[in-house]
Amino acid sequence: MGVPMVRITLNQVYAVRDQWSLSASGTFNEGVHLVSGDVGSGKSTLALMMAGLLPLSGGSIEKTGITSGMLSLQFPELHVTGLSVAEECTSWGVDPCKILEAIGLTEKKDISPLSLSRGELTQLHLACVLAKDYDLLLLDEPFSSLDCEEKVKLCARIGQKSQGITIIFTHEQNILPRVTRIWEIVDGTLVDCGTPPNAFQHWHHVPSVIEKLTALGSRPDNISLDDLREAACRIQG
Amino acid sequence: MQDPRIRIATAAFLSLAAFMSLHGAAAVFLWWLVFTPRLQLAKRIRLVFSLILMIAFFSLVLELFGGGGLSYFTRMTVIVLIGMWLFSEQKSGEFLSIGVWLFGDRAGFELGMVAEMGIQSFVSVTADYDRIRMAEKIKGMHWEVRSLVPAGLVLVHGAIVRAEDTTELLAIRGYQHGGTLCPQFITRPLDIIAGMVAVCILLFALIPVSEFFILYR
Repeated sequence: MGVPMVRITLNQVYAVRDQWSLSASGTFNEGVHLVSGDVGSGKSTLALMMAGLLPLSGGSIEKTGITSGMLSLQFPELHVTGLSVAEECTSWGVDPCKILEAIGLTEKKDISPLSLSRGELTQLHLACVLAKDYDLLLLDEPFSSLDCEEKVKLCARIGQKSQGITIIFTHEQNILPRVTRIWEIVDGTLVDCGTPPNAFQHWHHVPSVIEKLTALGSRPDNISLDDLREAACRIQG
Repeated sequence: MQDPRIRIATAAFLSLAAFMSLHGAAAVFLWWLVFTPRLQLAKRIRLVFSLILMIAFFSLVLELFGGGGLSYFTRMTVIVLIGMWLFSEQKSGEFLSIGVWLFGDRAGFELGMVAEMGIQSFVSVTADYDRIRMAEKIKGMHWEVRSLVPAGLVLVHGAIVRAEDTTELLAIRGYQHGGTLCPQFITRPLDIIAGMVAVCILLFALIPVSEFFILYR
């Protein structure tokens, strides 16, 4: 008891590219983690390094109990290997009928995935990625190109995950899932802000709505829409 | 080499010299060894290895069916090395400066801008291809000829989308034709020396060496 089943530890990991650098240390245990940071801060680089797809300039990454992993890249079109939407689903090892029905794209199963809109392609890609359970799931900017309704659905889908490590790398500020731990990249360094709600006081990228609610004396318990609504209701009495 | 005018002219002379004759190619290879960072370049541009492999394939076919494959391989490989050097030394905005310097603010500016966009597109395609290979690894796919079709489609699609975006951006900003630019170039003594050696190599490549030796028989 007390020992997490799966874990990924970054031991003084760093990446250097021309004038830019990133350093990261810390342990990601089971649960949903949020890594926030400005555009260009190194979120994608960190995700690629954690997935083992980018060599480290230094340090090491230790994975414990992780037998399966998945990285969702920021640009879904780069994942495309199928010549039709159905074939694309098959290339992920999932049933096209089930997936396409769930996201309402059944009628487009025979067209090229590149003919879909960016939002539809993102939906398709995320549906395929989330259809399977992985010990380590890395999602790089999963909310980009999605409308509010789809973002809410994605948060609900992530919230349903009961096992493994899910790490969301994003600069999304408004619609987020309930998370176990918050991290951020500040001045080229990964910082562990801690668990919500205490993490909010150390979090540079704290969403403005959380700041306002906290200022009004009703700090939300977490960062999901439900938590924000609950905090807002407390103010109204 | 700092001056892009000398660099591009040098690359043109050397490519011509290497293409024209085997002894020209040998001289160009020596120039490459003396005036470029050599292996550091090869490490930075991985594409060169696949290009050389492709040349090797066509050379083999040529050797088997008509002869001259080895000569073709040598000459083309040296040209690829020169191209690799030229590309690695290229800095953003240089084609625009050269275009304006050569042909003025209207045609020169437009030609330079098109060349800059071409280079930028090549850089983007290379970055996209790297990510596609990563995505294939993520899916547990191994590289095979069949996977080139979707990868090619993605790359072409991406290039078209970017071109459309650029066109819209230019139209929104009211671009019609030409532009003004005051190109500035830095010329170092070593640039001039390397350029002059390249001219000598071109002249050397033009000399029919075999005929020259016949005179002394």
